[in-house]
Amino acid sequence: MGPHFILLISALIFSIGALGFVIRRNPLIMFMSVELMLNSVNFLLIGYSNELRSIDGQIFALVIMTVAAAEVVVGLAIILTIFRTRHDLDVDHLDVLKG
Amino acid sequence: MRSGGGDTVFDFSWVDFNLFEVTYDVVVFVVGITAVLAALGVILCSSPIYCALYLIGHMMCLALLFLLYHAEFIAAVQIIVYAGAVMILFLFIIALLGGKKEKQEFSFHKFMALGFVGILSAELMLSARVGKTQPVEGMFTPAKITEVGSAKAVGIELFSRHLVPFELASILLLVAAVGVICLAKFPLKPLRRRAR
Repeated sequence: MGPHFILLISALIFSIGALGFVIRRNPLIMFMSVELMLNSVNFLLIGYSNELRSIDGQIFALVIMTVAAAEVVVGLAIILTIFRTRHDLDVDHLDVLKG
Repeated sequence: MRSGGGDTVFDFSWVDFNLFEVTYDVVVFVVGITAVLAALGVILCSSPIYCALYLIGHMMCLALLFLLYHAEFIAAVQIIVYAGAVMILFLFIIALLGGKKEKQEFSFHKFMALGFVGILSAELMLSARVGKTQPVEGMFTPAKITEVGSAKAVGIELFSRHLVPFELASILLLVAAVGVICLAKFPLKPLRRRAR
């Protein structure tokens, strides 16, 4: 149970997140898939910081969590604004950037 | 777990593996597989509220894994920030917008996406097999982290060698807060429908 297990699980979760981002059409679930990808990278960093007896990976994971929190807040505000103007949440119908 | 010697009836001295290490590996394996299954639940459920609940389960599994990898502070932050704040925000937005179920049909585009992601996954695992990087080992052994304390060790590193990213993160959070207020406060112009 060495670094290969960490790499395997992390690659699986990242791929699942990428698949969810591509095949789902609800923007909320697309955001959750992005969270999955960010979480897989966090897991990789923490696992390797344990393997390599270093603590830099934990600092990286902390910064990634900050970026993810900011991204979620802004993204959900954008989704809410789109819903308030269009009353529609299917990303296939959102083909113009103009309001 | 070796037995003390010949004074016990059952002699386990022939067992040459450490039971604690085996249990540790089994727990890490089971929690990791559970995390992957919860991630599959996130992208396969049709109702957004179930997706959010699966995502909470996934983050709990990851927090457990962080605990097993001697990152107690990050595990606490994961529970509080991710599984607490961020997912509550998600659930509020789902409740506000109405979690409608999404029709799941299988189209050619989805098949192409599946193939593309399969290739991506194979590439990632291939890079795990053939990678020859030899990284430098640090000095924070689990014993030392236990001695210093996980939060203190993270704090020492964060405020000495990684001070600039810390300050930039604070600026990022401020910018995000100002941006959200700008998005939410100003009234929206009525939308002119475009002819389709």
